[in-house]
Amino acid sequence: MATPVSVIRLPKGPDPNSRGFDPKSPRFLALCRTSISTSTASESDAEELQKEQHARSVLRERFLRCLLAMNNKKVRFHMHEKVEVQATFGASDIDVLNFQVSDLHTPIGVQKEALIRCQDVISFSFDM
Amino acid sequence: MAMRQTPLTCSGHTRPVVDLAFSGITPYGYFLISACKDGKPMLRQGDTGDWIGTFLGHKGAVWGATLNTDATKAATAAADFTAKVWDAVSGDEVLSLAHKHIVKSVSFTQDSSCLLTAGNDKLLRLYDLNNPETAPQEITGHSAAIKKALWCNNDKQILSAAEDKTIRLWDRSSMEVVKTLTFDTTVSSMEYVAEGEILVITYGKTIAFYNALSLELIKTVEASATINSASLHPEKDFFVAGGEDFKLYKFDYSTKEELESYKGHFGPVHCVRFSPDGELYASGSEDGTLRLWQTAVGKTYGLWKCVLPEDLGTENSEQLYSSAPEIKA
Repeated sequence: MATPVSVIRLPKGPDPNSRGFDPKSPRFLALCRTSISTSTASESDAEELQKEQHARSVLRERFLRCLLAMNNKKVRFHMHEKVEVQATFGASDIDVLNFQVSDLHTPIGVQKEALIRCQDVISFSFDM
Repeated sequence: MAMRQTPLTCSGHTRPVVDLAFSGITPYGYFLISACKDGKPMLRQGDTGDWIGTFLGHKGAVWGATLNTDATKAATAAADFTAKVWDAVSGDEVLSLAHKHIVKSVSFTQDSSCLLTAGNDKLLRLYDLNNPETAPQEITGHSAAIKKALWCNNDKQILSAAEDKTIRLWDRSSMEVVKTLTFDTTVSSMEYVAEGEILVITYGKTIAFYNALSLELIKTVEASATINSASLHPEKDFFVAGGEDFKLYKFDYSTKEELESYKGHFGPVHCVRFSPDGELYASGSEDGTLRLWQTAVGKTYGLWKCVLPEDLGTENSEQLYSSAPEIKA
């Protein structure tokens, strides 16, 4: 009677809460170019690199606070094909792929609840 | 003592898995991408099957998926009439290429500078990835939907298989057809093995091997069931095949002898591919799962561990799982 081959564990399955591509993985850290690439001059200057990193942190924090401030406010989304819509902002998903909004005013009527795809948005504005 | 094959099941897809592809060997190991009718292709670590990420963006079934050699880019072909290029490290969508019909197949050149797409619009398209705004070059000729298109002969030529029951070899520069193979039925799958220039084709219950440069037949092997996909081992000592009877078959390439067969999938096998190091092969099925199978059953590799008889029954064995017939992730 043949013995089945042993395995040390099972393959890891998908994370239900995220699309994956762990930014802390060695491959990501080594290969991922950030959207605003680090200036080449700073490669030799550690201080420059630190200043840049600080600037990135400031920008990121500002963006996150902006999302918080937008909660329940009327926001205008400027999208491709010269489309501009207004809606009440609800929340963003973790990867900033979708925005959850209510009362989305569209040319064909008001949508009570909707998801706006972030890659379709060029910019958005709101009054604080 | 004989060892019984323990396949590793990778779940996560919710619809049939229709295509899969391995990358080359990179400093971070090798990777596997799976195309699924649920529209969400997934990237996995090739030797363990561990999920790395899901490429989100397609609005229809994904029919084809591929990785470039160093697994930094992925490309997918879908029923939403687009082919997409992705950053395979961050998972971000990099390009969306609009087509006029369902896209079935995508393939990168070795230097990742050009993407070949093909599908139900019967055209082969070549996209310059360094200038994605420019219109793609189009190659016409097939009289029905194209199922698969691949680069061959050092990216100087293209092989395409279509529902018009032909396989055609095209020259990239002239964009003209060089040779045509005609069959009695549509070919179900095609694999190109660069080292040795071998083309592996399946149709009906047949697995056929051709010289990829001359399209001369090398040999054919008959299986006991309709075969949907086959893959030749990098060292060309074995090939594996799977199809409508849900089983995986392993054959000796030189003698054509059927060596092993494995049950495991709960639906027809749509695709099967050897890993770049030949140590395992992956199969995708109608049942929505991918399974990883060892080439040398019992060898320590990836998640499989070779346990010698004297180790069984010691304290160490509690860390090991002995398989029940079904292991799911």
